[in-house]
Amino acid sequence: MIDFLIGLFLASLIVALFTTRLYRLLLWYSLNSLTLGLLALGIGKNIDDSAMIITGVVTIVIKAIAIPYVLKNLSQKFHFVRQITPEIKVQYAIMLVPAILVFTFYLSEPIVHMIHTNANYVAISISSLFLSLLLMMEHKNVAPKIIGFLSMENSLFLLGVTATDGMPMLVELGIFFDLLMAIVVINLLFHKEEMRV
Amino acid sequence: MMLALLLLPALIMFGVSFIKKEKAKYLLAFTSFVILLPIVKLFLLPKPYNILGSYLVADKLDTYVLLVSSIVGIGVTMALLTLDKHVKVSPNAYRRFYRFFAIFWVGLIFSILSNHMGIYWIGLELATLSTVYMIKTNYTPAAHKEAWNYMIVGAIAISLVLFGIILMYASAKPILGEDAMNFDLLLAHAKDIPSPFLFEMGFAVTTIGMFVKMGFFPMNLWLANIERASFYPVAALFSGILESAVVIGFFRFSKIAMAVNYDHLFIFVFVYTILTIFIVSFLIYRAKDFMRLFSLSGVEHMALIVMFWVSGAPFAALLHFGAHAFLKPALFLSTGVLESNGKYRIAGALRGYKGVKGGIFWFLVSLFLLAIISLPPSPMFFSELYGFGAMIATAKESDHMLAMIAAILFLLILLSIIFYRFVAIYQSMKYEGVEKEKTVYGSELFSLVIFAISLLVLLLPQTMSFLRSIS
Repeated sequence: MIDFLIGLFLASLIVALFTTRLYRLLLWYSLNSLTLGLLALGIGKNIDDSAMIITGVVTIVIKAIAIPYVLKNLSQKFHFVRQITPEIKVQYAIMLVPAILVFTFYLSEPIVHMIHTNANYVAISISSLFLSLLLMMEHKNVAPKIIGFLSMENSLFLLGVTATDGMPMLVELGIFFDLLMAIVVINLLFHKEEMRV
Repeated sequence: MMLALLLLPALIMFGVSFIKKEKAKYLLAFTSFVILLPIVKLFLLPKPYNILGSYLVADKLDTYVLLVSSIVGIGVTMALLTLDKHVKVSPNAYRRFYRFFAIFWVGLIFSILSNHMGIYWIGLELATLSTVYMIKTNYTPAAHKEAWNYMIVGAIAISLVLFGIILMYASAKPILGEDAMNFDLLLAHAKDIPSPFLFEMGFAVTTIGMFVKMGFFPMNLWLANIERASFYPVAALFSGILESAVVIGFFRFSKIAMAVNYDHLFIFVFVYTILTIFIVSFLIYRAKDFMRLFSLSGVEHMALIVMFWVSGAPFAALLHFGAHAFLKPALFLSTGVLESNGKYRIAGALRGYKGVKGGIFWFLVSLFLLAIISLPPSPMFFSELYGFGAMIATAKESDHMLAMIAAILFLLILLSIIFYRFVAIYQSMKYEGVEKEKTVYGSELFSLVIFAISLLVLLLPQTMSFLRSIS
């Protein structure tokens, strides 16, 4: 089950790279976050860690539901461009994605030997980080860049869950708080722009 | 109790920022002064002082950085009182600036005083996010663009820091459990970390994240562009306070990395900082406006601080840090007056100051300008002297004496390029251009005087011995 979820996590991120519509991108981000939350719930149940189970629930509520909802509302309020064509052509992106995956598996090989539990997941989370960076780079519009930043945060969360069997609860909650703060700041940046217009 | 005292002025500032009366701006500046009181109290308490269990622990290094930052904060808020005389700023933007300044302080207090990698990161992220909106208080398309740039590049940098922290935590978790986030415990058990390679990898990633935030290679210009686009007090906050929070993190992480493998750390950081200074020196040579000039000079000084720290000269690094933290905001704040005739007019910028206020202003700005290129008796002169001396002393204990001498000579050539450029700019400011009368306001002058006194305090023997006791 965990393998299936982690595959789904990676797949949703890869599909997001090829998406050309904003709402669809939000959907893929939501699915990405949902799989991450379920993954935390699964691993938390396996190792009997109640803190990770709570983190999983908070992830689903905030990242899979609240943030996509807020971003969709923002996009309607401030009339975002919904056609988001990536700057990197599909034929090149389709070669770039497996190249990144192979490169990160090669790059993380020395680390994988040192982590005894969920070693392959660490490689996947590092490749997700690179793919999120690619998502930020391949778009000129701000909205997909924000999704890229949020996906990057998801990748780091995955790394925290898999490489360390969960970070301390205090840190996880702090990261959530900062994420909400980021959404507030993003909202304000858009808000002031509208006031000028 | 101490934590409540530290946070209270920031919370009051946050509350006052919602008051729409004109006089509220004086109250806001006053609350900035109040921030200093609990910090001074903390500074005088015996160290280490546990503020919140083992999560927030004040030691000499923490309180020194916090004290320096609070003085810079006071100077910046003083200059803010007359910001509207130099630039167009709405009362709303002014209040919002303070609202985010209060959040910034909360983040800063947590990151500087943290003894926990996670809390350090949370505080730094909070401080970073709150500064994004400060850039936007300048209602121009350039500031809007740079606010987004800062949001995105800052987010990438801070994500790299978290990525590295997770790897470091993973490396030490088998022996320390959840306490592997604790700086003190990590330092005490650095030799026992079962996977030192994983720790070093994490440290390298975290360091790159921090270096990106400080404008090191290859992101040399992003910070300069942001500081150019935002109001000058925001640039002063960036260089004087936010970078302090970043560099104290580097100090803490590098202490552990030194215990794990000193040679790896030294080579990595030394090469990185030399590369940064190499590029920055030529960028300074080509700089055509004050903000970019001071910003790039700030990057150069941060690189030197980091270099001295890893070269076994923490005293020199801390002295240089203090001098940088006072000098750079002072110069950024003075750009409001220096650019009275236009943004890109360096020639004659130091002419046209009449009366006592004008006279003191140009005298102080001249001193600050000459102090950042390390002319004696600037604290930077002494820090560089001690720093380079320590580098030679470190090299003596290894087999790389010749390489170190070559590196120092190379550095001196780069620093001489910067020296030459600053002297040329100073001469152009003082002796070229057309003389046009410029107005200096009392609050701005007061903030410059605060910075000048602070610099003098840095030179006192008691301060020097305090800095030695930290190292």
